[in-house]
Amino acid sequence: MRKLILLTLLVTSTFTFAQKSVLIMNGTAHIGNDSIIQNSLIGLKDGKIVLVADATTAKLDKSAYDEVIDAGGKHIYPGFIAPNSTLGLTEIESVRATNDFRETGTTLPNVRSLIAYNTDSKIIPTVRSNGVLLAQITPRGGLVSGTSSIVTLDGWNWEDAAYKTDDGIHINWPTIQSRKYLDEDNIYPGPFEKNKDYVKQTDLLKKLFADAKAYTESADKVEANLRFEAMKGIFSGTQTLFIHSNTVKEMVEAINFAKQNKISKVAIVGGKESWMITDLLKQNEIAVIISRLHDLPTYQEDDIDLPYKLPYLLQKGGVLYCLNNEGDMEAMNTRNLPFLAGTAATYGLTKEQALRSITLNTAKILGIDKSTGSIESGKDATVFISTGDALDMRSNNVERAFIKGRDIDLNNDQKVLYEKYKTKYGIK
Amino acid sequence: MKKIILFLLAISYAAAIVAQETFPVNGTSNKNHVIYAFINAKVIVDADQTIDNGTIVIKDGLIFSVGTKIPIPQGSVIVDLKGKTIYPGLIDAYTSYGMQETKRSSGGGYPQIESNTKGAYGWNQAIKAENDAIKNFTKDTKSAEEYRKLGFGAVLTFQKDGIVRGSGSVVTLSDNRENELILNEKAAAMYSFDKGTSAQDYPSSLMGSIALLRQTYLDASWYKSDKTKKEFNISLDAFNMLQSLPQIFESNDKLNALRADKIGDEFKVKYIIKGSGNEYQRLEDIKSTGCKFIMPVNFPIAYDVEDAYDANYVSLSELKHWEMAPVNLFAMEKNGVVFAITASDLKDKKDFWKNLRKAISFGLSEKQALLSLTSIPAEMLNLSDKIGKLKEGMIANFIITSGNLFDEKTIIYENWIQGNAYKINDYNTIDIRGNYDFSFGPERVLHQLKIEGELDKLKATLHTDTAKAAVNITVSGYSVSMSFNTINSNGTIRLSGNISSDPLKMNGTGQTPDGSWINWSANYSGTVIATVKKDSIKKDSLKKEAIKFGQVIYPFCAYGKQSDEREGFSKYVSDFKTRYDAVLIKHVTVWTNEAEGILKNQDVYITEGRIVRIADDIGAPKLAFAKVIDGTGKHLTAGIIDEHSHIALSSVNEGTQASSAEVRMGDVINSEDINIYRQLSGGVTTSQLLHGSANPIGGQSAIIKLRWGKSPEEMKFERADGFIKFALGENVKQSNWGDVNTIRFPQSRMGVEQVYYDAFTRAKEYEIKQKAYAALSEKAKATAVPFRRDLELEAVAEILNKKRFITCHSYVQSEINMLMHVGDSMGFKVNTFTHILEGYKVADKMKAHEAGASTFSDWWAYKMEVKDAIPYNAALLSKAGIVTAINSDDAEMGRRLNQEAAKAIKYGGLSEEEALKLVTLNPAKLLHIDKKVGSIKVGKDADVVLWSDNPLSVYAKVEKTIIDGQIYFDAEEDVKMRSAIQKERARIIQKMLEEKKSGAPTQKPVMKRKQLFECDTMQEDYLEIAE
Repeated sequence: MRKLILLTLLVTSTFTFAQKSVLIMNGTAHIGNDSIIQNSLIGLKDGKIVLVADATTAKLDKSAYDEVIDAGGKHIYPGFIAPNSTLGLTEIESVRATNDFRETGTTLPNVRSLIAYNTDSKIIPTVRSNGVLLAQITPRGGLVSGTSSIVTLDGWNWEDAAYKTDDGIHINWPTIQSRKYLDEDNIYPGPFEKNKDYVKQTDLLKKLFADAKAYTESADKVEANLRFEAMKGIFSGTQTLFIHSNTVKEMVEAINFAKQNKISKVAIVGGKESWMITDLLKQNEIAVIISRLHDLPTYQEDDIDLPYKLPYLLQKGGVLYCLNNEGDMEAMNTRNLPFLAGTAATYGLTKEQALRSITLNTAKILGIDKSTGSIESGKDATVFISTGDALDMRSNNVERAFIKGRDIDLNNDQKVLYEKYKTKYGIK
Repeated sequence: MKKIILFLLAISYAAAIVAQETFPVNGTSNKNHVIYAFINAKVIVDADQTIDNGTIVIKDGLIFSVGTKIPIPQGSVIVDLKGKTIYPGLIDAYTSYGMQETKRSSGGGYPQIESNTKGAYGWNQAIKAENDAIKNFTKDTKSAEEYRKLGFGAVLTFQKDGIVRGSGSVVTLSDNRENELILNEKAAAMYSFDKGTSAQDYPSSLMGSIALLRQTYLDASWYKSDKTKKEFNISLDAFNMLQSLPQIFESNDKLNALRADKIGDEFKVKYIIKGSGNEYQRLEDIKSTGCKFIMPVNFPIAYDVEDAYDANYVSLSELKHWEMAPVNLFAMEKNGVVFAITASDLKDKKDFWKNLRKAISFGLSEKQALLSLTSIPAEMLNLSDKIGKLKEGMIANFIITSGNLFDEKTIIYENWIQGNAYKINDYNTIDIRGNYDFSFGPERVLHQLKIEGELDKLKATLHTDTAKAAVNITVSGYSVSMSFNTINSNGTIRLSGNISSDPLKMNGTGQTPDGSWINWSANYSGTVIATVKKDSIKKDSLKKEAIKFGQVIYPFCAYGKQSDEREGFSKYVSDFKTRYDAVLIKHVTVWTNEAEGILKNQDVYITEGRIVRIADDIGAPKLAFAKVIDGTGKHLTAGIIDEHSHIALSSVNEGTQASSAEVRMGDVINSEDINIYRQLSGGVTTSQLLHGSANPIGGQSAIIKLRWGKSPEEMKFERADGFIKFALGENVKQSNWGDVNTIRFPQSRMGVEQVYYDAFTRAKEYEIKQKAYAALSEKAKATAVPFRRDLELEAVAEILNKKRFITCHSYVQSEINMLMHVGDSMGFKVNTFTHILEGYKVADKMKAHEAGASTFSDWWAYKMEVKDAIPYNAALLSKAGIVTAINSDDAEMGRRLNQEAAKAIKYGGLSEEEALKLVTLNPAKLLHIDKKVGSIKVGKDADVVLWSDNPLSVYAKVEKTIIDGQIYFDAEEDVKMRSAIQKERARIIQKMLEEKKSGAPTQKPVMKRKQLFECDTMQEDYLEIAE
């Protein structure tokens, strides 16, 4: 317990030294809450946003800022947030030694992603430079994968990268049908078949949660149980239970499970079929962290754009949702998160709603919306300037980025190599 | 009288011939030459000839005479078959009767590079030409009985194992000594695409199986012509022997049937194809093979679709196939395809008659059914003089039935094989199966009695409202006895009584548990399983019925279209039209990819598959089927070309040898892949289907246009150059394949280089030998060792002769450099480096070598060799003067290649026009098809895409994708199709629910997701993949 306090102290006390104050003028500010200020004034001071105003009406004292940026013709966004990410937990997917996102075992709520998060991953700067400035670092595998934490995508080490430590626990709801493999090494995928262990697996989850709850409430703890300890926040409402699930039947069971355990904060991660149960999700105030949009439909007869328009279907159904990028090559692909939102805008959402699905909505679902997720006075100065529409790959071009007011280095190894070889060939 | 004497003479003469045998007798000899005469029967001589009130005389296993009023020799056993019918014994031309089961020997997961068959055999274990069924055949009493019950008297049997399976034998199903059962010891040569028990690695793919078969044909003919015989090869020797026999090829899918026929065409073999049951889905193509077929009657059973969510697991193609499968045989008959019918493929042979009758109720004629079970298989197996008909001198294989064989109520009494009688059912047997209105005792309560099961093993249940009770029932002749307990009975009630037919009913008396006697009666009320009733479908109105049933769609899956587009999609999708004589797009922004650049507010006129005019204002076409599209605010580009794709394939990697240059992706195009349609929706019009990257020299590519609905052959890009896949790096050295894959050469980049030097060196020598042989005089050729064609080396030699071009999977600069060096020293150029993520490091060298590049926009960090990959690669290469494309290698990304191209604006600052060329004109250049496609220019193919927005924007959607001037994707029609699919699904689901209610068996839906192929996909189950 002492350790935890120490950790919190550390987190809050980092980077309290003086920062340059910045005024961003004349840019189109995309607030993140569906609204836009065409010609905006945004003031950043001491790590916070101190001014959000319309330049055409507000009075302004430029001298109050150390730096004034003219963002005329440019766009300002709140930092994008990548939920359910393994960024920093893997470097090169096929090289086992670089992978730290999966622990052996079935129920491991006490396994924590934060301490394995590598701030020096070469991938992170390539993600940051597309506008993604925060991420929820999430363990994978098993029935209970472990505990995630939210980090800013800068920092000398995981301690000062930590934004919200141990924000939630991730469980993978068992699948009713699972894929049969044709060989012993699970390399050749075969057809799906009924998961014979479904009941056994769900029972295991039910028992774990019942036991952990009883443990939490028990006055007399003879021996400490690290797993149960790790789950306290789920029952007290300080942590979110993230249930990874995609099909209707499984999600319905998972929602009932959460209800029975009286868990107040629940989010579905994946939710490919969540559009079929929007009423249920709405009634129970369960949000969906939508699986990677750039995906093929599950079934041949599905609408060919079903994954693309899933955000729109949830929007229409009144469900809170945000976008995530789990899947093949997910770490490096995090930089494409803005374009997932762009696709959502092409398939039903407004552009500002799409933006919200990677900013304010995400912050709400992750429980960090009080301090980040939109460009609002009093929130963290986590914003960036793009020369064009940042949701469109054609125009996404991040010039400046700030995390809690810190001016972020937007260079990365790939840009270095680019410059090096441009010089080699004499390309301008 | 004279005649009779002559007959008698003949009989004694024949007897004298039959009498001897080689086996010693234990005990006293028990020879039996008794003559049997079956009189007063309706004799079905063959499908064309029926003798009412006929007689058949048999002796010594042969038919002695057939006819009306024919003399019966003295001393005959006379069987009076009044009211009964005699049919020729049925023939099943596709069984493994009496064969031992074969098992695959597992090598514990380790590669097995060589054959495990020891001896002077061929190199590949899957070529089992020497496998003669006759040597493995032992009669199997149990299995024989199963076949005999169905009416079969003779079967073709063979070992179902391997690609070349050796010879099959025709045997009878009598239980005499094996020596007497063989009608033809080598009746047919058997083939398949399935390597069976062979654990040898090669082939691991469908195109590998095809290539192996091709090479085997060549090797065998070379072996035959080689008079010097320096080597003896049992397998090739046997293969040559097989060639004089009927050739039977097993297919498990309509596309495999077409593939088999294509091989046959190459080697001038007309196969008899063992069909799969879905031939109706590509009937025109099946018909045009001209092949004969052996058809199963294995229809899918209904899915249990009561759970609406689970029902989603059942695809439209499965739903439709369930509905239409029984119509397959009728469709084939109607289209004049010659076929035999087999009981093969049935999980339970007992379903044979049920299913065959179902096919008949769906339109198959009884005459065709009889032909397909008798004279057609007999002819296929060159045995029409011995079996399949009831004619003098033929083998005495026949069945005695209560009436029309194809009638549901008909009973097979006896099956005579080679003159031996096998009793199936008693002559007095009445088929009492069905539902009965049943009452017993004084209460006069109406119960339901349900009798089902086999005739000799009846199962009965008593239904009273919702209560059910099992009934023990025994039938003997016309008497019946039953016993059962009811809830109120306090013990067992026993009933006995009589059966009377016409109408079918039973009645009698019985005792209750307390000993009091009661009366009972049961009146037949209908069949147990409400299969499609015959009279409900009039054959002449079957076309109408078919529409009610739904139509065949092309391809046979969701978003498939009915073939006759111009007629409209009638019942299924209203007014769906794609085929126009002309298309005119007005007021559109045209991205020409030519010197003109981007032209605003233009009209583009398309007809006969070509772009005919681009101008400010073009008048409306006067043709009847013309479409005018308003392009205001929209953008028109050339169709997207994916240089690196693995969609539309049934199989992708033959990585078992360092070089598999002989395999051809064109052999395994899968026209039924939904991803074709999905990619059309992303504007893709042409794709290069590449072999995987599992080995340094992969297979030959296929370039296709995404002509959704057409057959694999029709999808191929006409007269395109040949390409071949090469691969370097981690995949070919099996770096990420686990610890067992450390044997196959190469395992390092050093080895990869040697694979190439070896292949090209051998290819050069091959050509020298070929030329030397060709230069020999005819006389010298006669004594020389003939030249052996080698398809692998031929493909490599084509590269040297600039007839085939390389697309090489590559990542790091060292290996890219290496291959260019090999090329320079061996005399070939690398046409395209694909992936080429470190290409930017050697752009100058690539330029000098004139190599092109086809890369990913921003992939990296997934394996060690992409550590230095940068998203600026495409822009850097382009600016260094290299023809550069961006490809997908991914079914999902393939449908937003425009967005991937747009990333080159962001990363490296290409202009929008140049960026678009990365996925249009540049890949066209790399594939040598830029004269036809890749830009919007008068005279070029009308492969164009209409976008809602700037095509490089994430906000752009495809509205129409046009190939050869035909609209293959239309966003508006797509919406209509979605609801049509929903309707069609709902309709069939209702039918399935009815089927379940009627008590028919169902299967649980299981999620099926099609496997997606990428470069490293290896799979062994390609035969199961055809979805």
